[in-house]
Amino acid sequence: MAETIEDGISLEGRISYPVRESRLRRFFRLGHAAPYILVLPSLFIVTFVVAIPLVISLWSSFTPYNLVRPWTLYHYIGFRNYLRLFNSSDFWWAFGRTVVFLTVALNLEMLLGLGLALLVNKITAGKRAVRTIMMFPMMFSPILVGFQFKYIFNDNVGLINNALTSLGFMHYPIAWLVNAILAPLTILIAETWMSTSVFAILLLAGLLALPSEPLEAAKVDGCNAWQAFRHITLPFLMPFIYIAMTIRSLDVARAYDMVKIMTDGGPAQRTELLWTLIARTGYEDARMGMANAMGYVSILLSIAVTVYFYRKLMAARSYMGGAE
Amino acid sequence: MKAGRTLKTLLLACVATVGLTVAGQAAEQDWGSFPGYTLKVKLVGGTQYEKLYTRIPEWEKATGAKVQIVSSENYFDLDREIKQDIASGSVNWCVGSNHTSFAPQYGKFYIDLKPYISEDILSEYVPSAIRNSTVNGQLVQLPRVTDISNIYYNELVYDNPDVKARYKAKFGKDLAPPTTFDEYKQQAIFLSAPPNLYGTAFPGKDEGLTGRFMEILRANGGDMFDAQMNPTFNSKAGVDALQFFVDLYKAKAVPAGTINYTWDDIGQSFAAGTLALDIDWPGFAAFFNNPKTSKIAGHVGLALAPIGEAGKRGGWSGSHSFSVTAACDNKKAAVSFVEFMTDYDSEMMEARAGNLPTRTKVFADVEAEFKQQHNDYMANMFSIWQASLADARTPPLIPEWIDVSNVIWPAIQSAVLGQKTAQQALDDAAAKAKQIVQDQSDN
Repeated sequence: MAETIEDGISLEGRISYPVRESRLRRFFRLGHAAPYILVLPSLFIVTFVVAIPLVISLWSSFTPYNLVRPWTLYHYIGFRNYLRLFNSSDFWWAFGRTVVFLTVALNLEMLLGLGLALLVNKITAGKRAVRTIMMFPMMFSPILVGFQFKYIFNDNVGLINNALTSLGFMHYPIAWLVNAILAPLTILIAETWMSTSVFAILLLAGLLALPSEPLEAAKVDGCNAWQAFRHITLPFLMPFIYIAMTIRSLDVARAYDMVKIMTDGGPAQRTELLWTLIARTGYEDARMGMANAMGYVSILLSIAVTVYFYRKLMAARSYMGGAE
Repeated sequence: MKAGRTLKTLLLACVATVGLTVAGQAAEQDWGSFPGYTLKVKLVGGTQYEKLYTRIPEWEKATGAKVQIVSSENYFDLDREIKQDIASGSVNWCVGSNHTSFAPQYGKFYIDLKPYISEDILSEYVPSAIRNSTVNGQLVQLPRVTDISNIYYNELVYDNPDVKARYKAKFGKDLAPPTTFDEYKQQAIFLSAPPNLYGTAFPGKDEGLTGRFMEILRANGGDMFDAQMNPTFNSKAGVDALQFFVDLYKAKAVPAGTINYTWDDIGQSFAAGTLALDIDWPGFAAFFNNPKTSKIAGHVGLALAPIGEAGKRGGWSGSHSFSVTAACDNKKAAVSFVEFMTDYDSEMMEARAGNLPTRTKVFADVEAEFKQQHNDYMANMFSIWQASLADARTPPLIPEWIDVSNVIWPAIQSAVLGQKTAQQALDDAAAKAKQIVQDQSDN
């Protein structure tokens, strides 16, 4: 029914004709609109900040959009960008490298962060000071970290090569930032140095929230330290680990600046990750249409990682009897 | 009486000449009047560029205008920012730092300066600098500094009697700065004694690597594109040019990390005395010879760039410049500003800092000034570098140059690191470059 009819009586007691009230007016009169009105500002902001740029960038991925030729945004070319991407070995190598980098970096940071958190948790004096010191690497901007590690691993004047030469361990410099294995490894080391403390801080928060009763009960039951860790501490920490993993997997692209400074994706694309490739295509080459197509394909990777960690988080919460 | 009349005429003529000269100077120094106007500019930042900006208050005083620097970044970040401005269509600034390599891609974003600047003034600039600043017949930038590379060599190595004797014994000729690229390679390999001394180094990435490759390619008689814009850099001349880098790298005549080096890394290495030879820009001359910044100060030799297989120099050249946006609300003020920033005094300031000026007269004047100060090294630098300008050539002045460069240098890297042969790497890059040029013409 499109409209509602209501009977009404006038103040003078005379019978009035039925009044038709629109569905919309009734919606507002009964207060059903309040929640929607309250949500409107945030919807408005989300639309402008997220939805519209997403739609425009999606559209541009079907165009040859070039930043310095704005009119190319209106030239529809169908799936040409995507077809080229699917046939581009450079793109898929960068995609593969990014997946490997994400997997290794996140797991390594998690393991080191967990170890660090367990150690700091055992400290009886000066815990606050150590916690603060532990956060130092997080305070550096990735650009600074990039310069710092570029210098450390420089083949000619770098700290490591100089130390190795002075100690007599080598006579010919190691090309840390060039070698096919060492170059990605140096970036991994820089990234791990910068971000391990994120895991450590989050996991330390989990350890501080860990109730002492189960651990004491385990001790009474004769569990050794490893068994207590494996069956009590670790399951309790799993939600924290997955939350940290999810946050870091979305935040790891911060490493772009670092890679840009250290190797700029080279040499010969040996350290090319999706971020350096997309930035170069979009800004240096100004081919924003193609860069956005790359972005949309790589979003699949982000969604897959996020969904995976979210499911794991839910499973971990169920396991420890947490609220659904 | 006649003599008195002649004297009077002479005096009048002198007065008139002095008057005309003064009037001429006054006219030259009339930068216009723009009281209350704020000129917004985006200028390249960095120590070597910013000294010139100390002259801005002089222009402000002369014109009554104010200059607001709304952005000061390195060239690559500035380029990125300008592209975003073009894309968004929100341009509220008037003057931007530019470069001959970047200029073609901006299309009609910057105005043609010819209608605003008299022929007399333009004729005071180095003709090749003006020619290289012209895109599709439009003077879209006014050059402030020109760049071209020549040889720096370490005299501590080249004057070493033992090294000289060994070289003569091996090659049957005296050790002297190389005149051809083959000789350059031969000497670099011979002189290399890692890890303390390498023959040379080359920029290993970005446009630096593409540019050096292009320079040797042209010296070998090749070029980047033919008249129909088909890539031709994968010709024999190109393969030979790329082989130059491959051979140096394989022979360990360059630091292994050179494939990641930028200009600064090379400059620092040469100043540290760890390179025997370096083909580099004029801006490094003063740095290399300054005892505060260089271990080989006082022992830096200079020579013209080598020639290639075709018996000529590649002469990769470019100019740092200023441009005026088409959206500028006061183009006269903006043009006045860019003229002022490249006038005689500004160019003398650039030249004294060791940069190649863009006004012809400044070359002779600054050389004379250095000679007067008994600084023969810098005077010699200006003499050699000015001579090399005869071979100056920019990269192709096409909008897609940076895109093309970005497919060439990774290909060169892959050949240098042995992942591909020189021919294979250049063929792959040529296929990609062809697609980029094709896309540009389709849109």
